[in-house]
Amino acid sequence: MISQKLSDQLTRIGPGSDAGTVLRQYWQPAALTDELESGSPVPVNLLGERLALIADDAGSWRLVTRKATTDELPSRHPREVIVDVNGPEYPIHQMRGIVFAYLGVGEVPVFPKFDCFRAPDTHVFAFKGLWECNWLQALEIGIDPAHASFLHRFLEDEDPDDGYGKQFRDKAANTDIPLTKILRDYPRPEITVDETDYGLKITALRHMDQALTHVRVTNAIFPEAICIPMSREMTITQWHVPVDDEHCYWYTMFTSFDQPVNKALMREQRLMEHALPEYRPLKNKDNNYCYDPEEQKTLTYTGMGLDINVHDQWAVEMMGSIQDRTREHLGRSDVAIIRNRRMLRKAIRAVNEGNYAALPMQTAAAAEIVGPLSNDTIAATDDWESASHNADMERRHSCAWEATV
Amino acid sequence: MQQPLHIDTTQRESDWVYIADRREMARPRPLLPVSIDGRPYVLFKDEEGELGLIGRHCPHRGADLCFGRLEDNGIRCPFHGWHFDRTGQCREQPAEPVGSTMAQAIKVPMVPLREKQGRIYAYVGEETL
Repeated sequence: MISQKLSDQLTRIGPGSDAGTVLRQYWQPAALTDELESGSPVPVNLLGERLALIADDAGSWRLVTRKATTDELPSRHPREVIVDVNGPEYPIHQMRGIVFAYLGVGEVPVFPKFDCFRAPDTHVFAFKGLWECNWLQALEIGIDPAHASFLHRFLEDEDPDDGYGKQFRDKAANTDIPLTKILRDYPRPEITVDETDYGLKITALRHMDQALTHVRVTNAIFPEAICIPMSREMTITQWHVPVDDEHCYWYTMFTSFDQPVNKALMREQRLMEHALPEYRPLKNKDNNYCYDPEEQKTLTYTGMGLDINVHDQWAVEMMGSIQDRTREHLGRSDVAIIRNRRMLRKAIRAVNEGNYAALPMQTAAAAEIVGPLSNDTIAATDDWESASHNADMERRHSCAWEATV
Repeated sequence: MQQPLHIDTTQRESDWVYIADRREMARPRPLLPVSIDGRPYVLFKDEEGELGLIGRHCPHRGADLCFGRLEDNGIRCPFHGWHFDRTGQCREQPAEPVGSTMAQAIKVPMVPLREKQGRIYAYVGEETL
């Protein structure tokens, strides 16, 4: 557990706040390119600021401040957009289906050569969804490899061949074992965390029978993103972007290392679960996430359907709008959460001393960062490390776009 | 999830306050959210037929135990499988390393209960019973 003071430092993101100052030094997803299709203006609520994307006569977009009434809900689009000509305007950059904004001081940072940025548009699909809670608890569930064995447990396995575009539905590498079965049968992963130039590399080992080990490599990309495998073909790069202190959006880039992404299918799967224009999930706390006690007995661990996004949303929203970390009890399985908070504290100290260059990925060298490696492998227990590395290299060498690292 | 039963103890005449009828727990999933002076609890029946009234949020990361799994004679958090008995004592942390003794030190707040003529009362006095 941590003090209320430290919790506030780590979670609150308004202008001038500690974590808010750190987050502002990074490009932030502000909208989907899809949202621009409904025309100007597009309201944007980001880092506690009320903004809007507006198109000028030449058709190019600007991110400007807008005036908002004090009772305007941060999680809803306003009825009308009134531009505040005295407020700040921020640089934007469109990449792979997402409009990124920079709200920090100094020059805009470079984009690292992450796979989601290196892959061509045909191989990346972007989507987003609203979670009604603080951004840090949303991020922390993504760097917690143990929870998948419980929260996402399926009491029966689906046919992996029906799993396109869904998390954990593939077969584990080079086997016919559904990944859901491995997660269920081996709930006690051995987790190691390595600090890297982009954030944290998280390795979860599930030691299986017959001297085999399931290796799952995931990543925290500082300060608020994760990069994790979704299937043998695709990875997920996901930002947890604060709307204000008590709401956030997940923005995901699904990146394919094989075939072009079937964007129509991916979009249709996700639009079925969300209400526009805010991208609020149809299953939410107002309807108890469609919780069904009978389903919880027989089919899923949560009783909230097969969409694992809903399970995560339930877990993080029902902690409270900002998790009370003065009452938490972190265990060994929370090692990545602890390390990530340590990185954030270090960054907060650096910005408070005016030492912005000490933050991860703030110099020109960040443009050369590639990867990160992110995959599921099953390997002989005495050879898991090189087997995991080789599996990622194999995927990269046979990739249609330049994915070598 | 049902709205919690709201119990206001500020005007109480006794340290044992009525919270619900026993027959309320004769449901397929015998669990009710309870709020005592704004503090959140979960009331559940275990496999021995005994009732427990314990803190609603899992002491690990704060997940909501009202959506917990009623199994193994207690309630199990769906987030990481932490298991609690009716006294609020944590009995299992299935993702923690083999041999970990952390669970022994984890207990959620527990409100003592007693039943009289089919009515359930909770003890809200200051003294430890």
